[in-house]
Amino acid sequence: MNVFFRELNAYRKSTIIWCASLAAILVVFMALYPAFTTDVAATRQVLAQFPAAMRNALNISLANFFTIYGFYGYLLGFAALAGAIQAMNVGNGIISKEVSGKTADFLLSKPMTRVRVMSAKLAAALAIIIITNVVFSGVSYLAALMVAPEKFAAGTLLLLASTMFLVQLVFLALGALFAVLIPKVKSVVSVSLPTVFTLYIIGTLGDVLGNDNVRYLSPFKFFDTNYIIRNVSLEGKFLVIEAAIIVVAIAASYVIYVKKDVRASA
Amino acid sequence: MNAIQTTKLTKYYGKSKGIVDVDMTVTEGEIYGFIGPNGAGKSTTIRTLLGLIHATSGSATIFGKDITTSGPEIREEVGYLPSEVFYYDDMRVIDLLKYSASFYKKDHKAIEQRIKRLAEMFDLDLKKKIDDLSYGNKKKVGIIQGLAHEPRLIILDEPTGGLDPLIQQQFFNLLKEENAKGATILFSSHILSEVQRLCDRVAIIKDGSIIKVEQIKTLLENSTKRFKLQLVNTPDPSAFAVDGVSDLAILDHSVSFLYRGRVNDITKMLVTQDLTDLLVEEPDLEEIFMHYYQKEDEQ
Repeated sequence: MNVFFRELNAYRKSTIIWCASLAAILVVFMALYPAFTTDVAATRQVLAQFPAAMRNALNISLANFFTIYGFYGYLLGFAALAGAIQAMNVGNGIISKEVSGKTADFLLSKPMTRVRVMSAKLAAALAIIIITNVVFSGVSYLAALMVAPEKFAAGTLLLLASTMFLVQLVFLALGALFAVLIPKVKSVVSVSLPTVFTLYIIGTLGDVLGNDNVRYLSPFKFFDTNYIIRNVSLEGKFLVIEAAIIVVAIAASYVIYVKKDVRASA
Repeated sequence: MNAIQTTKLTKYYGKSKGIVDVDMTVTEGEIYGFIGPNGAGKSTTIRTLLGLIHATSGSATIFGKDITTSGPEIREEVGYLPSEVFYYDDMRVIDLLKYSASFYKKDHKAIEQRIKRLAEMFDLDLKKKIDDLSYGNKKKVGIIQGLAHEPRLIILDEPTGGLDPLIQQQFFNLLKEENAKGATILFSSHILSEVQRLCDRVAIIKDGSIIKVEQIKTLLENSTKRFKLQLVNTPDPSAFAVDGVSDLAILDHSVSFLYRGRVNDITKMLVTQDLTDLLVEEPDLEEIFMHYYQKEDEQ
């Protein structure tokens, strides 16, 4: 547990900053909700003039945009983008920093197997993401309570919020995999930003082109908010795809990490 | 029991050679020197023993346990100080040392007491942040984290860089203390006088292979001597073409060479020279080291 707590402590500041930033994004967006709902007919008319591809790309559905769920789903697209960056930074940095900071000699010469080191680090990364999502979901619920004109089902809102967690899990696993694949990660953001934005753009392009198959390529599109609002559930096949990606990425990370040579730091 | 036993331990980094067929036996309780220039394979051997890198072939045991299957058990008994020390800059010294102690099964209170004693000995401020330490002080942190849990085997890879002579002396005294208590020490260095001061036996490594293992005493007492002559006449180099002579240097009327062989044989040559002065002295380890290197090259 020493490595686990050490990592939680090391990431304390950045986790607080990420939680505060995500909460701020949420509060600012949710504060705009009443403005959108004061004259629904007029706003709907404006939005209807947007090309459908653009509405899809922005996660705007005319059927539910003016409900608290639809509006929340719209802002989730942006929150998930930020959350993905956080998750990839944590998943990648928590492992690669021992090589870039040249502390791998210290850690790996201690009486602990690499499997246990990796497990402790991944558990800490997961805990960081869970903490972030508990804060995010809590603030989401409170913000919705403040701005929703009528009662809403907290379960649906929290199910929508959980999609950010699911997106983050994929990026955490990819971050860990890249940390062991790339010999020396000089800067975590140089890995996370290109990966996250590439997959985000791929997902957006799929919406613009109206190609539904692109959903399989971008974790941002695994969980369609409109489907969740309609069915109050997640799409099973994408849950399976998500689980498969995570299992493969994490398993590969363990195998590579255990076999990897730690070259002299000098 | 042998503290370290390697059998044909080999490591290649892709196609480039690290170490080849290294056979090394370090008996429990000895201070074993490991000398060779940079890139000879000292660190590769040590890092393989510690499980930081994986051997291409061959095997090794530490206290009878296989390094590939019993890594954590072995490292429980090992203290390691690398040549370059890097720790977590955001931590205070005391937190880093407690973190280090937390990995061992030994009584943590006893380790913490020893941390305090060693910090006092080395005049190290435990409350400082790692980031604020000079390189020498970081090295002291390295010594303490490596020795605080009183390991049975201490592995030191070029450990004295960054330490001033006084601290070096204290460090060496501490190592001798630990050795007297039963700890085995593997001391890698390219500074031969350090090895000479501390070690019982020494292995000389070159280009990834151990070329000689010798008792320090034997090494210093062997028949290799440094001869320095002053001659009346200009020396004739061909007169010194005798078996066992190496490192021949002639300057004006002065001649200097290393000789390994029967003293009678060299004196037969010396009586043919018109000498004004003769000095025969023990070569220092540096010269012996170069001597072995040359011999190896000639073969």
